[in-house]
Amino acid sequence: MSASARTVAVMGTLVTIEVVHPSIDSDEAVDRAFGWFHEIETRCTRFHESELTQLTSQAGVPVEASPILYEAVCFALMVAEESGGAFDPTVGHRMEGQGFNREHRSGEIFRTAISPENDVSYRDVLIDPGRRTILLRRPLTLDLGAVAKGLAVDTAARELAPFRDFAIDAGGDLYLGGSNEQGVPWSVGIRDPRDPQQLIDSLRISNQAVCTSGDYERRGHILDPRTKTSSHSVASATVVAPVAMLADALATAAFVLGPDEGIRLLTRLGVDGLIVTPELKRYETRGLCRAA
Amino acid sequence: MSGMTSGGSEKKNGRIGNRIVGASFAAVLAVYTAGYSRTQSAANHLAAQVAERRAAVPAPERVTIHVPQLASPAPIPSRLLPAPAPLPEPTRKVAAASSVETPPAQSATKIDAPPAFVEPVRSDIFEPGVSAAQVIAPAIAAAPAVTVPPPQQPAKPTWKDGTYTGWGYSRHGNIEAAVVIEGGRILSANISQCRTRYSCDVIDKLIPQVAQRQSPDVDYVSGATQSADAFYGAVVEALSKAQ
Repeated sequence: MSASARTVAVMGTLVTIEVVHPSIDSDEAVDRAFGWFHEIETRCTRFHESELTQLTSQAGVPVEASPILYEAVCFALMVAEESGGAFDPTVGHRMEGQGFNREHRSGEIFRTAISPENDVSYRDVLIDPGRRTILLRRPLTLDLGAVAKGLAVDTAARELAPFRDFAIDAGGDLYLGGSNEQGVPWSVGIRDPRDPQQLIDSLRISNQAVCTSGDYERRGHILDPRTKTSSHSVASATVVAPVAMLADALATAAFVLGPDEGIRLLTRLGVDGLIVTPELKRYETRGLCRAA
Repeated sequence: MSGMTSGGSEKKNGRIGNRIVGASFAAVLAVYTAGYSRTQSAANHLAAQVAERRAAVPAPERVTIHVPQLASPAPIPSRLLPAPAPLPEPTRKVAAASSVETPPAQSATKIDAPPAFVEPVRSDIFEPGVSAAQVIAPAIAAAPAVTVPPPQQPAKPTWKDGTYTGWGYSRHGNIEAAVVIEGGRILSANISQCRTRYSCDVIDKLIPQVAQRQSPDVDYVSGATQSADAFYGAVVEALSKAQ
Protein backbone atom coordinates (compact mmCIF):
# COMPACT_ATOMS: atom_id res chain seq x y z
CA MET A 1 0.00 0.00 0.00
CA SER A 2 1.43 3.37 -0.91
CA ALA A 3 1.63 6.53 1.12
CA SER A 4 -1.54 8.41 1.95
CA ALA A 5 -1.76 12.11 2.64
CA ARG A 6 -4.52 14.25 4.03
CA THR A 7 -4.77 18.04 4.11
CA VAL A 8 -6.84 20.13 6.50
CA ALA A 9 -7.13 23.91 6.85
CA VAL A 10 -6.31 24.82 10.43
CA MET A 11 -4.30 27.45 12.31
CA GLY A 12 -4.60 29.81 9.38
CA THR A 13 -2.71 27.49 7.12
CA LEU A 14 -2.96 24.19 5.31
CA VAL A 15 -1.70 21.22 7.25
CA THR A 16 -0.79 18.04 5.40
CA ILE A 17 -0.02 14.77 7.09
CA GLU A 18 1.42 11.92 5.10
CA VAL A 19 1.95 8.41 6.37
CA VAL A 20 4.25 6.31 4.22
CA HIS A 21 2.80 2.92 5.14
CA PRO A 22 -0.83 3.66 5.94
CA SER A 23 -3.21 1.36 7.78
CA ILE A 24 -6.53 1.65 9.57
CA ASP A 25 -4.63 2.37 12.76
CA SER A 26 -2.65 5.11 11.12
CA ASP A 27 -5.84 6.69 9.78
CA GLU A 28 -7.08 7.01 13.34
CA ALA A 29 -3.73 8.37 14.45
CA VAL A 30 -3.92 10.98 11.70
CA ASP A 31 -7.38 11.98 12.99
CA ARG A 32 -5.91 12.43 16.44
CA ALA A 33 -2.95 14.29 15.02
CA PHE A 34 -5.27 16.79 13.34
CA GLY A 35 -7.18 16.87 16.60
CA TRP A 36 -4.14 18.37 18.25
CA PHE A 37 -4.01 21.17 15.72
CA HIS A 38 -7.61 22.09 16.45
CA GLU A 39 -7.17 21.74 20.18
CA ILE A 40 -4.07 23.89 20.35
CA GLU A 41 -5.51 26.48 18.00
CA THR A 42 -8.63 26.71 20.12
CA ARG A 43 -6.55 27.57 23.15
CA CYS A 44 -3.71 29.61 21.78
CA THR A 45 -5.13 31.76 19.00
CA ARG A 46 -5.16 35.51 19.43
CA PHE A 47 -7.64 35.90 16.59
CA HIS A 48 -10.67 34.63 18.44
CA GLU A 49 -11.90 34.32 21.97
CA SER A 50 -9.62 31.66 23.39
CA GLU A 51 -7.97 30.65 26.59
CA LEU A 52 -5.11 32.88 25.51
CA THR A 53 -7.31 35.93 25.00
CA GLN A 54 -8.97 35.25 28.36
CA LEU A 55 -5.53 35.30 29.93
CA THR A 56 -4.50 38.53 28.24
CA SER A 57 -7.68 40.22 29.37
CA GLN A 58 -6.71 39.67 33.00
CA ALA A 59 -3.46 41.54 33.54
CA GLY A 60 -2.32 41.73 37.14
CA VAL A 61 -4.04 38.52 38.20
CA PRO A 62 -2.44 35.06 38.30
CA VAL A 63 -4.49 32.93 35.97
CA GLU A 64 -4.54 29.16 36.14
CA ALA A 65 -3.75 27.70 32.75
CA SER A 66 -4.42 24.44 30.93
CA PRO A 67 -1.36 22.29 30.26
CA ILE A 68 -1.29 23.44 26.64
CA LEU A 69 -1.29 27.14 27.39
CA TYR A 70 1.00 26.78 30.37
CA GLU A 71 3.64 24.77 28.54
CA ALA A 72 3.42 26.98 25.46
CA VAL A 73 3.98 30.11 27.53
CA CYS A 74 6.78 28.56 29.60
CA PHE A 75 8.50 27.42 26.45
CA ALA A 76 8.15 30.82 24.80
CA LEU A 77 9.66 32.49 27.86
CA MET A 78 12.53 30.02 27.89
CA VAL A 79 13.42 30.75 24.27
CA ALA A 80 12.99 34.48 24.90
CA GLU A 81 15.47 34.22 27.75
CA GLU A 82 17.94 32.11 25.77
CA SER A 83 17.79 34.40 22.75
CA GLY A 84 18.19 37.57 24.78
CA GLY A 85 14.74 38.72 23.75
CA ALA A 86 15.27 38.23 20.01
CA PHE A 87 12.30 35.91 20.25
CA ASP A 88 9.61 37.56 22.37
CA PRO A 89 6.00 36.36 22.59
CA THR A 90 4.80 39.77 23.75
CA VAL A 91 5.30 41.40 20.36
CA GLY A 92 1.66 40.57 19.62
CA HIS A 93 0.24 44.03 20.04
CA ARG A 94 2.92 45.66 17.97
CA MET A 95 2.14 43.23 15.21
CA GLU A 96 -1.46 44.36 15.35
CA GLY A 97 -0.23 47.94 15.20
CA GLN A 98 1.61 47.17 12.00
CA GLY A 99 -1.37 45.61 10.37
CA PHE A 100 -0.81 41.98 11.29
CA ASN A 101 -4.21 41.65 12.76
CA ARG A 102 -5.94 39.71 10.07
CA GLU A 103 -6.88 36.12 10.54
CA HIS A 104 -5.41 34.46 7.46
CA ARG A 105 -8.31 32.21 6.65
CA SER A 106 -11.36 34.34 7.31
CA GLY A 107 -9.78 37.70 6.60
CA GLU A 108 -11.44 38.89 9.79
CA ILE A 109 -9.78 41.89 11.40
CA PHE A 110 -8.99 41.38 15.02
CA ARG A 111 -7.93 43.96 17.55
CA THR A 112 -7.42 43.66 21.24
CA ALA A 113 -9.27 46.04 23.48
CA ILE A 114 -6.27 46.63 25.67
CA SER A 115 -3.63 49.18 24.81
CA PRO A 116 -0.39 47.94 26.25
CA GLU A 117 2.47 50.24 26.90
CA ASN A 118 5.00 50.06 24.18
CA ASP A 119 7.86 48.78 26.29
CA VAL A 120 6.32 45.52 27.44
CA SER A 121 8.50 42.46 27.06
CA TYR A 122 8.54 38.81 27.97
CA ARG A 123 9.80 39.84 31.40
CA ASP A 124 6.29 41.08 32.13
CA VAL A 125 5.03 37.51 31.97
CA LEU A 126 5.52 35.58 35.19
CA ILE A 127 5.05 31.90 35.77
CA ASP A 128 4.25 30.16 39.04
CA PRO A 129 5.28 26.54 38.45
CA GLY A 130 3.80 25.40 41.78
CA ARG A 131 0.32 26.69 41.07
CA ARG A 132 0.72 26.51 37.30
CA THR A 133 -0.52 30.02 36.91
CA ILE A 134 0.50 32.77 34.52
CA LEU A 135 0.61 36.39 35.60
CA LEU A 136 0.82 39.30 33.19
CA ARG A 137 2.32 42.17 35.12
CA ARG A 138 1.00 44.68 32.63
CA PRO A 139 -1.62 44.59 29.90
CA LEU A 140 -0.05 42.96 26.88
CA THR A 141 -0.82 40.72 23.96
CA LEU A 142 0.81 37.34 23.83
CA ASP A 143 1.51 36.00 20.39
CA LEU A 144 1.96 32.26 20.62
CA GLY A 145 1.42 31.71 16.90
CA ALA A 146 4.79 30.18 16.13
CA VAL A 147 4.99 28.21 19.36
CA ALA A 148 1.44 26.92 19.02
CA LYS A 149 1.96 25.72 15.48
CA GLY A 150 5.22 24.04 16.46
CA LEU A 151 3.61 22.44 19.49
CA ALA A 152 0.79 21.10 17.33
CA VAL A 153 3.32 19.60 14.93
CA ASP A 154 5.18 18.02 17.85
CA THR A 155 2.14 16.51 19.49
CA ALA A 156 0.93 15.30 16.11
CA ALA A 157 4.36 13.73 15.56
CA ARG A 158 3.98 11.87 18.85
CA GLU A 159 0.67 10.46 17.66
CA LEU A 160 2.31 9.24 14.48
CA ALA A 161 5.51 7.95 16.05
CA PRO A 162 4.35 4.31 16.00
CA PHE A 163 4.10 4.49 12.21
CA ARG A 164 7.75 5.56 11.96
CA ASP A 165 7.75 6.98 8.44
CA PHE A 166 5.61 10.08 8.08
CA ALA A 167 5.67 13.76 7.20
CA ILE A 168 3.81 16.68 8.72
CA ASP A 169 3.71 19.96 6.83
CA ALA A 170 2.06 22.84 8.64
CA GLY A 171 2.44 25.76 6.28
CA GLY A 172 6.15 25.25 5.87
CA ASP A 173 6.81 24.01 9.40
CA LEU A 174 7.83 20.45 8.78
CA TYR A 175 8.42 17.36 10.84
CA LEU A 176 9.81 14.35 9.01
CA GLY A 177 9.64 10.99 10.71
CA GLY A 178 11.84 8.12 9.54
CA SER A 179 12.22 7.75 5.80
CA ASN A 180 10.33 8.57 2.64
CA GLU A 181 8.67 6.11 0.29
CA GLN A 182 12.02 5.22 -1.24
CA GLY A 183 13.27 4.18 2.16
CA VAL A 184 15.80 6.99 2.49
CA PRO A 185 15.73 10.01 4.83
CA TRP A 186 13.48 12.80 3.62
CA SER A 187 14.95 15.47 1.43
CA VAL A 188 13.69 18.95 2.26
CA GLY A 189 14.11 21.79 -0.17
CA ILE A 190 14.80 25.26 1.15
CA ARG A 191 13.18 27.88 -1.01
CA ASP A 192 15.18 30.63 -2.62
CA PRO A 193 13.82 33.64 -0.73
CA ARG A 194 13.86 35.73 -3.90
CA ASP A 195 12.60 33.18 -6.39
CA PRO A 196 9.71 30.97 -5.39
CA GLN A 197 10.44 28.59 -8.26
CA GLN A 198 13.95 27.81 -7.12
CA LEU A 199 15.44 25.93 -4.22
CA ILE A 200 18.47 27.41 -2.64
CA ASP A 201 19.38 24.24 -0.83
CA SER A 202 18.23 20.77 0.03
CA LEU A 203 18.57 19.13 3.44
CA ARG A 204 18.56 15.50 4.48
CA ILE A 205 16.19 15.07 7.41
CA SER A 206 15.03 12.17 9.56
CA ASN A 207 13.14 12.45 12.85
CA GLN A 208 13.69 16.18 12.92
CA ALA A 209 11.67 19.32 12.38
CA VAL A 210 12.55 22.00 9.85
CA CYS A 211 11.15 25.50 10.07
CA THR A 212 11.89 28.51 7.93
CA SER A 213 11.15 32.14 8.77
CA GLY A 214 11.17 34.15 5.60
CA ASP A 215 10.59 37.76 4.68
CA TYR A 216 8.84 36.72 1.50
CA GLU A 217 5.51 35.39 2.73
CA ARG A 218 4.38 38.50 4.50
CA ARG A 219 7.13 41.00 4.23
CA GLY A 220 8.22 42.38 7.55
CA HIS A 221 6.08 40.07 9.62
CA ILE A 222 8.93 39.35 11.96
CA LEU A 223 9.62 42.24 14.27
CA ASP A 224 12.77 42.71 16.23
CA PRO A 225 11.38 42.96 19.75
CA ARG A 226 14.40 44.94 20.79
CA THR A 227 14.07 47.68 18.18
CA LYS A 228 10.36 47.24 17.40
CA THR A 229 11.01 47.31 13.69
CA SER A 230 11.11 44.68 11.01
CA SER A 231 14.41 42.95 10.52
CA HIS A 232 16.13 43.40 7.19
CA SER A 233 19.49 41.63 7.31
CA VAL A 234 18.01 38.18 6.76
CA ALA A 235 15.85 36.96 3.88
CA SER A 236 15.22 33.56 5.40
CA ALA A 237 16.33 31.59 8.43
CA THR A 238 15.90 27.82 8.51
CA VAL A 239 16.36 25.77 11.66
CA VAL A 240 16.61 21.99 11.99
CA ALA A 241 15.81 20.68 15.48
CA PRO A 242 14.32 17.56 17.05
CA VAL A 243 11.31 19.61 18.22
CA ALA A 244 9.25 21.73 15.80
CA MET A 245 8.31 24.24 18.48
CA LEU A 246 11.99 24.89 19.07
CA ALA A 247 12.85 25.00 15.37
CA ASP A 248 10.11 27.54 14.74
CA ALA A 249 10.96 29.81 17.67
CA LEU A 250 14.67 29.71 16.90
CA ALA A 251 14.06 30.41 13.21
CA THR A 252 12.30 33.59 14.33
CA ALA A 253 15.12 34.43 16.73
CA ALA A 254 17.82 33.78 14.11
CA PHE A 255 15.91 35.92 11.63
CA VAL A 256 15.84 38.79 14.09
CA LEU A 257 19.45 38.41 15.23
CA GLY A 258 20.94 38.46 11.75
CA PRO A 259 23.39 36.05 10.13
CA ASP A 260 26.36 36.09 12.49
CA GLU A 261 24.59 36.32 15.79
CA GLY A 262 21.89 33.97 14.55
CA ILE A 263 24.33 31.20 13.68
CA ARG A 264 26.08 31.72 17.01
CA LEU A 265 22.81 31.28 18.88
CA LEU A 266 21.89 28.11 16.98
CA THR A 267 25.34 26.65 17.54
CA ARG A 268 25.24 27.49 21.23
CA LEU A 269 21.83 25.85 21.61
CA GLY A 270 22.91 22.74 19.73
CA VAL A 271 20.63 22.94 16.72
CA ASP A 272 21.43 23.36 13.04
CA GLY A 273 20.41 26.09 10.69
CA LEU A 274 20.87 27.96 7.46
CA ILE A 275 20.50 31.73 7.20
CA VAL A 276 20.20 33.43 3.81
CA THR A 277 20.64 37.18 3.43
CA PRO A 278 18.74 39.35 0.97
CA GLU A 279 21.86 39.17 -1.23
CA LEU A 280 21.55 35.37 -1.05
CA LYS A 281 24.70 34.96 0.97
CA ARG A 282 24.49 31.83 3.10
CA TYR A 283 25.48 31.27 6.70
CA GLU A 284 25.12 27.86 8.25
CA THR A 285 25.95 25.77 11.28
CA ARG A 286 28.62 23.15 10.86
CA GLY A 287 26.32 20.21 11.42
CA LEU A 288 23.87 21.02 8.65
CA CYS A 289 23.20 17.86 6.66
CA ARG A 290 22.61 18.39 2.94
CA ALA A 291 20.82 16.06 0.62
CA ALA A 292 22.90 14.78 -2.25
CA MET B 1 26.60 15.88 -0.03
CA SER B 2 27.98 16.52 3.34
CA GLY B 3 28.74 13.54 5.46
CA MET B 4 28.05 15.35 8.71
CA THR B 5 25.06 14.54 10.76
CA SER B 6 22.71 17.03 12.30
CA GLY B 7 23.70 15.85 15.71
CA GLY B 8 27.23 17.14 15.28
CA SER B 9 26.80 20.54 16.78
CA GLU B 10 24.80 19.14 19.66
CA LYS B 11 27.71 17.07 20.82
CA LYS B 12 30.06 20.02 20.77
CA ASN B 13 27.69 22.23 22.68
CA GLY B 14 26.35 19.57 24.89
CA ARG B 15 25.20 21.39 27.93
CA ILE B 16 23.16 24.33 26.84
CA GLY B 17 21.96 22.65 23.70
CA ASN B 18 20.77 19.56 25.46
CA ARG B 19 19.10 21.65 28.06
CA ILE B 20 16.87 23.60 25.72
CA VAL B 21 16.21 20.62 23.46
CA GLY B 22 15.45 18.51 26.53
CA ALA B 23 13.16 21.16 27.94
CA SER B 24 11.34 21.34 24.62
CA PHE B 25 10.85 17.60 24.59
CA ALA B 26 9.59 17.74 28.14
CA ALA B 27 7.08 20.45 27.29
CA VAL B 28 5.70 18.47 24.36
CA LEU B 29 5.47 15.38 26.50
CA ALA B 30 3.69 17.26 29.28
CA VAL B 31 1.11 18.57 26.84
CA TYR B 32 0.73 15.24 25.15
CA THR B 33 0.23 13.31 28.35
CA ALA B 34 -1.92 15.76 30.25
CA GLY B 35 -3.81 16.93 27.21
CA TYR B 36 -4.49 13.55 25.92
CA SER B 37 -5.93 11.95 28.98
CA ARG B 38 -8.20 14.93 29.12
CA THR B 39 -8.99 14.63 25.48
CA GLN B 40 -9.72 10.99 25.82
CA SER B 41 -12.15 11.30 28.67
CA ALA B 42 -13.93 14.19 27.07
CA ALA B 43 -13.91 12.38 23.78
CA ASN B 44 -15.67 9.41 25.28
CA HIS B 45 -18.18 11.72 26.81
CA LEU B 46 -18.80 13.54 23.60
CA ALA B 47 -18.75 10.49 21.40
CA ALA B 48 -21.55 8.99 23.40
CA GLN B 49 -23.52 12.21 23.32
CA VAL B 50 -23.14 12.64 19.63
CA ALA B 51 -23.84 9.03 18.85
CA GLU B 52 -26.98 9.23 20.89
CA ARG B 53 -27.98 12.45 19.30
CA ARG B 54 -27.10 11.66 15.75
CA ALA B 55 -28.75 8.32 15.99
CA ALA B 56 -32.04 10.13 16.26
CA VAL B 57 -31.50 11.71 12.89
CA PRO B 58 -32.45 9.57 9.94
CA ALA B 59 -29.27 10.59 8.22
CA PRO B 60 -28.46 9.04 4.90
CA GLU B 61 -24.78 9.27 5.72
CA ARG B 62 -22.96 7.08 8.11
CA VAL B 63 -21.58 8.71 11.16
CA THR B 64 -18.07 7.60 11.88
CA ILE B 65 -16.68 8.54 15.19
CA HIS B 66 -13.04 8.02 15.85
CA VAL B 67 -12.24 7.97 19.48
CA PRO B 68 -8.60 8.37 20.43
CA GLN B 69 -6.66 5.58 22.02
CA LEU B 70 -9.34 3.01 22.14
CA ALA B 71 -8.85 0.57 24.91
CA SER B 72 -11.02 -1.90 23.07
CA PRO B 73 -11.68 -0.90 19.52
CA ALA B 74 -14.70 -3.09 19.15
CA PRO B 75 -17.87 -1.20 18.33
CA ILE B 76 -20.47 -1.42 21.02
CA PRO B 77 -24.11 -1.60 20.20
CA SER B 78 -25.86 1.54 21.21
CA ARG B 79 -28.14 -0.34 23.54
CA LEU B 80 -25.14 -0.86 25.77
CA LEU B 81 -24.57 2.84 26.03
CA PRO B 82 -25.63 4.30 29.30
CA ALA B 83 -28.75 6.34 28.98
CA PRO B 84 -27.56 9.81 29.76
CA ALA B 85 -30.85 11.14 30.94
CA PRO B 86 -34.46 10.24 30.91
CA LEU B 87 -35.43 10.07 27.29
CA PRO B 88 -39.09 10.55 27.42
CA GLU B 89 -40.10 10.28 23.83
CA PRO B 90 -39.97 6.96 22.12
CA THR B 91 -38.83 8.28 18.75
CA ARG B 92 -35.30 8.74 19.93
CA LYS B 93 -35.05 5.25 21.30
CA VAL B 94 -36.32 3.73 18.15
CA ALA B 95 -33.94 5.77 16.10
CA ALA B 96 -31.08 4.89 18.36
CA ALA B 97 -31.77 1.23 17.94
CA SER B 98 -31.87 1.57 14.20
CA SER B 99 -28.43 3.05 14.18
CA VAL B 100 -27.02 -0.29 15.16
CA GLU B 101 -28.32 -1.83 12.00
CA THR B 102 -27.76 1.02 9.62
CA PRO B 103 -24.03 1.30 9.34
CA PRO B 104 -22.21 -1.41 7.45
CA ALA B 105 -19.64 -3.24 9.45
CA GLN B 106 -16.40 -1.64 8.31
CA SER B 107 -17.29 1.89 9.10
CA ALA B 108 -19.92 1.56 11.72
CA THR B 109 -20.48 4.05 14.45
CA LYS B 110 -17.56 3.36 16.68
CA ILE B 111 -17.74 4.21 20.29
CA ASP B 112 -15.22 3.59 22.94
CA ALA B 113 -16.40 1.75 26.00
CA PRO B 114 -17.59 4.85 27.66
CA PRO B 115 -17.46 5.92 31.19
CA ALA B 116 -19.55 8.18 29.09
CA PHE B 117 -21.32 10.31 31.54
CA VAL B 118 -18.90 10.32 34.34
CA GLU B 119 -17.84 13.68 35.61
CA PRO B 120 -16.09 15.36 32.72
CA VAL B 121 -12.52 16.33 33.29
CA ARG B 122 -11.92 20.00 33.59
CA SER B 123 -10.11 22.39 35.81
CA ASP B 124 -11.56 25.27 37.68
CA ILE B 125 -10.93 27.89 35.11
CA PHE B 126 -11.50 27.90 31.42
CA GLU B 127 -10.58 24.31 30.98
CA PRO B 128 -13.16 22.95 28.69
CA GLY B 129 -12.42 19.52 27.44
CA VAL B 130 -12.76 20.96 23.99
CA SER B 131 -10.18 18.45 23.12
CA ALA B 132 -12.66 15.81 22.44
CA ALA B 133 -14.66 17.71 20.03
CA GLN B 134 -12.21 18.13 17.29
CA VAL B 135 -11.52 14.45 17.19
CA ILE B 136 -14.95 13.79 15.93
CA ALA B 137 -15.34 17.13 14.28
CA PRO B 138 -15.41 15.74 10.78
CA ALA B 139 -18.37 13.60 11.72
CA ILE B 140 -20.23 16.54 13.11
CA ALA B 141 -19.42 18.73 10.18
CA ALA B 142 -20.50 16.09 7.74
CA ALA B 143 -23.79 15.45 9.39
CA PRO B 144 -26.67 17.39 7.98
CA ALA B 145 -28.17 20.10 10.12
CA VAL B 146 -31.76 19.14 10.51
CA THR B 147 -34.59 19.75 12.84
CA VAL B 148 -35.62 16.98 15.13
CA PRO B 149 -39.37 16.85 15.11
CA PRO B 150 -40.67 17.63 18.56
CA PRO B 151 -42.18 14.67 20.29
CA GLN B 152 -45.90 14.34 19.92
CA GLN B 153 -46.67 14.04 23.58
CA PRO B 154 -44.19 14.91 26.24
CA ALA B 155 -43.70 11.99 28.57
CA LYS B 156 -43.60 12.42 32.28
CA PRO B 157 -40.27 11.49 33.72
CA THR B 158 -39.76 12.76 37.18
CA TRP B 159 -36.63 14.34 38.45
CA LYS B 160 -35.60 15.39 41.89
CA ASP B 161 -36.38 19.01 42.61
CA GLY B 162 -33.50 21.43 42.62
CA THR B 163 -31.15 23.26 40.31
CA TYR B 164 -28.60 21.21 38.44
CA THR B 165 -25.80 22.19 36.16
CA GLY B 166 -23.93 20.30 33.50
CA TRP B 167 -21.37 20.96 30.81
CA GLY B 168 -21.56 20.24 27.13
CA TYR B 169 -18.59 20.30 24.85
CA SER B 170 -17.83 21.41 21.35
CA ARG B 171 -14.76 22.21 19.36
CA HIS B 172 -15.63 25.86 19.58
CA GLY B 173 -15.88 25.87 23.33
CA ASN B 174 -18.19 24.67 26.03
CA ILE B 175 -21.52 25.51 27.48
CA GLU B 176 -22.79 25.06 31.00
CA ALA B 177 -26.52 24.65 31.37
CA ALA B 178 -28.50 25.13 34.56
CA VAL B 179 -31.74 23.22 34.77
CA VAL B 180 -34.35 23.95 37.42
CA ILE B 181 -36.59 21.05 38.44
CA GLU B 182 -39.77 21.76 40.34
CA GLY B 183 -42.46 19.24 41.13
CA GLY B 184 -40.46 16.62 39.26
CA ARG B 185 -40.65 18.56 36.01
CA ILE B 186 -38.30 20.86 34.17
CA LEU B 187 -39.33 24.35 35.14
CA SER B 188 -36.64 26.07 33.14
CA ALA B 189 -33.26 25.65 31.53
CA ASN B 190 -30.65 28.29 31.00
CA ILE B 191 -27.16 28.76 29.72
CA SER B 192 -25.24 29.57 32.87
CA GLN B 193 -21.85 29.84 31.21
CA CYS B 194 -21.14 30.38 27.56
CA ARG B 195 -17.54 29.54 26.85
CA THR B 196 -17.91 29.05 23.15
CA ARG B 197 -15.91 31.02 20.65
CA TYR B 198 -19.13 32.39 19.23
CA SER B 199 -21.93 34.05 21.09
CA CYS B 200 -24.52 31.72 22.57
CA ASP B 201 -27.21 34.01 21.17
CA VAL B 202 -27.34 31.80 18.12
CA ILE B 203 -28.94 29.05 20.13
CA ASP B 204 -31.23 31.26 22.22
CA LYS B 205 -34.32 29.73 20.76
CA LEU B 206 -33.31 26.31 21.96
CA ILE B 207 -33.42 27.30 25.62
CA PRO B 208 -37.20 27.30 26.14
CA GLN B 209 -37.51 24.03 24.20
CA VAL B 210 -36.08 22.10 27.12
CA ALA B 211 -38.97 23.02 29.39
CA GLN B 212 -41.55 22.85 26.60
CA ARG B 213 -40.48 19.36 25.65
CA GLN B 214 -39.47 18.22 29.12
CA SER B 215 -36.44 16.83 27.42
CA PRO B 216 -32.92 17.74 26.36
CA ASP B 217 -33.96 17.13 22.77
CA VAL B 218 -33.65 20.58 21.37
CA ASP B 219 -33.59 21.38 17.68
CA TYR B 220 -30.49 21.43 15.60
CA VAL B 221 -29.44 24.85 14.42
CA SER B 222 -28.00 25.16 10.98
CA GLY B 223 -24.74 27.02 11.24
CA ALA B 224 -24.55 26.40 14.96
CA THR B 225 -24.71 22.65 15.16
CA GLN B 226 -21.76 22.50 17.51
CA SER B 227 -23.22 24.98 19.96
CA ALA B 228 -26.55 23.19 19.79
CA ASP B 229 -24.86 19.88 20.49
CA ALA B 230 -22.94 21.38 23.37
CA PHE B 231 -26.14 22.76 24.87
CA TYR B 232 -27.85 19.43 24.44
CA GLY B 233 -24.94 17.69 26.14
CA ALA B 234 -24.98 20.19 28.97
CA VAL B 235 -28.69 19.65 29.62
CA VAL B 236 -28.24 15.88 29.46
CA GLU B 237 -25.52 16.07 32.06
CA ALA B 238 -27.53 18.38 34.29
CA LEU B 239 -30.57 16.10 34.12
CA SER B 240 -28.45 13.07 34.87
CA LYS B 241 -27.69 14.66 38.23
CA ALA B 242 -31.38 15.13 38.92
CA GLN B 243 -32.22 11.45 38.76
